[in-house]
Amino acid sequence: MKCRRCKAPAVIDIRRHNAAFCSDCFIHHCKEQVKKAIDEFKMFGPEARILVAVSGGKDSLALWHILTQLGYRVDGLYIGLGIGDYSDESGVKTRAFADAHGYKLVEVSLPSDYGYDIPTAASRTNRAPCSSCGLSKRHLFNKAALDGEYDVLATGHNLDDEAAVLLGNVLHWEPGYLGRQYPVLPATDGFAKKVKPLVKMGEREMAAYCVLLDIDYQVEECPMAEGNRHLGYKEVLNSLEQRSPGAKAAFLSSFFSRGHEYFREAAHVEKGELNSCDECGSPTTGSRCAFCALRNRVISETPVSIGRISNAPISISRKD
Amino acid sequence: MKVILRNPRREIEIQGPMVADSLLRRLEINPETVLIICNGTLVPRDTRFSDDDEIELRPVISGGAA
Repeated sequence: MKCRRCKAPAVIDIRRHNAAFCSDCFIHHCKEQVKKAIDEFKMFGPEARILVAVSGGKDSLALWHILTQLGYRVDGLYIGLGIGDYSDESGVKTRAFADAHGYKLVEVSLPSDYGYDIPTAASRTNRAPCSSCGLSKRHLFNKAALDGEYDVLATGHNLDDEAAVLLGNVLHWEPGYLGRQYPVLPATDGFAKKVKPLVKMGEREMAAYCVLLDIDYQVEECPMAEGNRHLGYKEVLNSLEQRSPGAKAAFLSSFFSRGHEYFREAAHVEKGELNSCDECGSPTTGSRCAFCALRNRVISETPVSIGRISNAPISISRKD
Repeated sequence: MKVILRNPRREIEIQGPMVADSLLRRLEINPETVLIICNGTLVPRDTRFSDDDEIELRPVISGGAA
């Protein structure tokens, strides 16, 4: 195969674009696709201070790298989840990446700073591990973005992630979730602006970006995610993609351009009236936010020392 | 040729030569779900492997839904 742009030998083929690329042209393609997403969805301007949530995986490290390469001011946020060797290794890879590139990394540790870890939360609450993990990360991402006065929080959700979430939301006809599924969520009282600049990039492309640039990412899958519903949706979508290249991108982009508007109102209706959490001050529809409720339930049965209280500002910077 | 698979990591021997696309079909792996890395270099699906190549089929699917 030859590169579509320069006709040099290709290193990767992308069937949905009916194209193959050499290394340099593929890196160029990735940056262009991210730029296109930022512009199309009006994610942020050139002066924005951006906080990228990084896990040590391919998507978040690649996103951090691409945004910096595009000239944006970007810091990383890493949350230690306490998932044994998996978390240890992802932390090592994230720190090594930040050090090698001279990027600023903010770190939060769920076990040290909040007194619990994801495996314990899952077992104590009978929630699926990904549910406790997602709830905890969303809360801490938002808190770190607000405490650090960042203009926007960026996450590494890619085309495959979003298509899988969309399939799940459609299978269960979740109007509120469908209304909130969009590459940009504006800032509202107590919530930072959130963006997904990789929404036009498949996860195979993000892995290729890391391999070509020698970005050492966590290849192994999270041991707690095995067999989850999200992976099942991805399997179904990839079967469709194999038969009909471009199916995933069409499913997702058509929703954004033609479907999302019909659910926008449902997102506001389901959110309801917001109060401040009695414990941490975060917006919540009840008296206590879901994060504090989860944490209280877990630590009430877990005799571990708490490093610092939950409403303390997050400011553990490794580099300035 | 040596073929390295992940999650869990394991190695298998397959008789070459063989084109990458055929290897994926033989192992029943959806090409959308892996990168093909031959002797440490990323390669496309039409690459022909020889018997002394080392091929990694690196999965790209991650499972977090958050």
